[in-house]
Amino acid sequence: MIFRVPLAALASLAFFSAAFATEPAPLPPDLLATAIKTDSLTIPTPGELFAALEKPGKPDWAGQYRTPIPMTYRNRAQIALNLGGLIADGFIAVEAQDSQQVKNIGTDIIKLAKALGVSENVLSRGNSINEFAENSEWDALQEELEATQNEVKSSMQSHRDQDLVILVSVGGWIRGTQVVSASVIKNYDEQSAKVLRQPAVVNFMHSKVNDVGEELKNEPLVKDVSTQLMAIEKLDTFQAGKAPTLDEIRKLNEAVTKLMEEIQNKADTK
Amino acid sequence: MKRFIAILFSVIVVAGVPLRAETDEEVEAHKLVLDLTGAFTNDGFKLRDGHWTGMVKPRERALIAVNLYAGNQYWFSAAANSKAKKIAVELYDETGRPLTTDSYNDGERASAGFSPSSSGQYFVSVGLLEGEPTTFCLVYSYK
Repeated sequence: MIFRVPLAALASLAFFSAAFATEPAPLPPDLLATAIKTDSLTIPTPGELFAALEKPGKPDWAGQYRTPIPMTYRNRAQIALNLGGLIADGFIAVEAQDSQQVKNIGTDIIKLAKALGVSENVLSRGNSINEFAENSEWDALQEELEATQNEVKSSMQSHRDQDLVILVSVGGWIRGTQVVSASVIKNYDEQSAKVLRQPAVVNFMHSKVNDVGEELKNEPLVKDVSTQLMAIEKLDTFQAGKAPTLDEIRKLNEAVTKLMEEIQNKADTK
Repeated sequence: MKRFIAILFSVIVVAGVPLRAETDEEVEAHKLVLDLTGAFTNDGFKLRDGHWTGMVKPRERALIAVNLYAGNQYWFSAAANSKAKKIAVELYDETGRPLTTDSYNDGERASAGFSPSSSGQYFVSVGLLEGEPTTFCLVYSYK
């Protein structure tokens, strides 16, 4: 049986449960350290980041576009990192409600995904992205991009490319942070600046990058990503509850921009 | 709720995500939780395309780390299969301090709603208050 709970009903039940609730005890640090961390829930999607940034006012998303990236990478790690960045670009184009840009990026996503040999399911999503973009179905497009990202990752896992999955997430987070920090610098306000505090995400990604197989870990680009993530984590560790200053955001933006350029342009050294 | 205070601070530690097909119980729990989140979707919340399934025993909790953005609103929803009589979803901040949330409980399904004022790491706890060891599924929605 399909059970749908109206939100109003949830709200009234919320009062009911609050009336009987007893404050739970705090959790000790050793317990927190054992919490499950998973790519599918622990790393936020670019859509969540951009939704938070839009609360104080819609940023100039189109002003954050970048020139098309090469489609000729041969190194699989570099392809995975750039694929993540491209998916973040797709979210930006959706936020900008720019059909043509969404279609262009959708085409590039499929090209890079093909280069990694992902499944036919992913490739068929290219058609859906085009169709939703034609019809300006922005909510559906955002869901489709998220689903495409997950499909790419699950296809990688089934092709025994698990180690590349985290690189897609890293690429997406770096590009998303580059765009959001640039947007906050352009029009600083404390509410928007607060979204940039995510040290635990960087820490998680860094530890996952360190866990990849030896061969991949020794690739120059992956080594650089690992080293720079450590520095980025420090730059992103703003005080809880307090908005980072413009200067702090500038430093973070410089660091992620440098890393994004390297991900995009580093010559294949393998 | 007093019984919940007595819940031992034990967690299910899951190292990594094995590549395997989901069991029937996991599929059932996932379906149940998606039914629950329909209400949030109707209210403009977007369901994140990702979920976590695991096992939880009586007086134990599963703890999952999430990273939230200040300014967004979130609903965390969990559902367990029919072996569970009552589950609870609670939220903690990065220091382990319990947070006041909007909450919904309906036996084997529960949700907790929260709007963080600070971006960063939070912890979602799924506890089994009554019933036999069970499979649960956790998802979240945001807007």
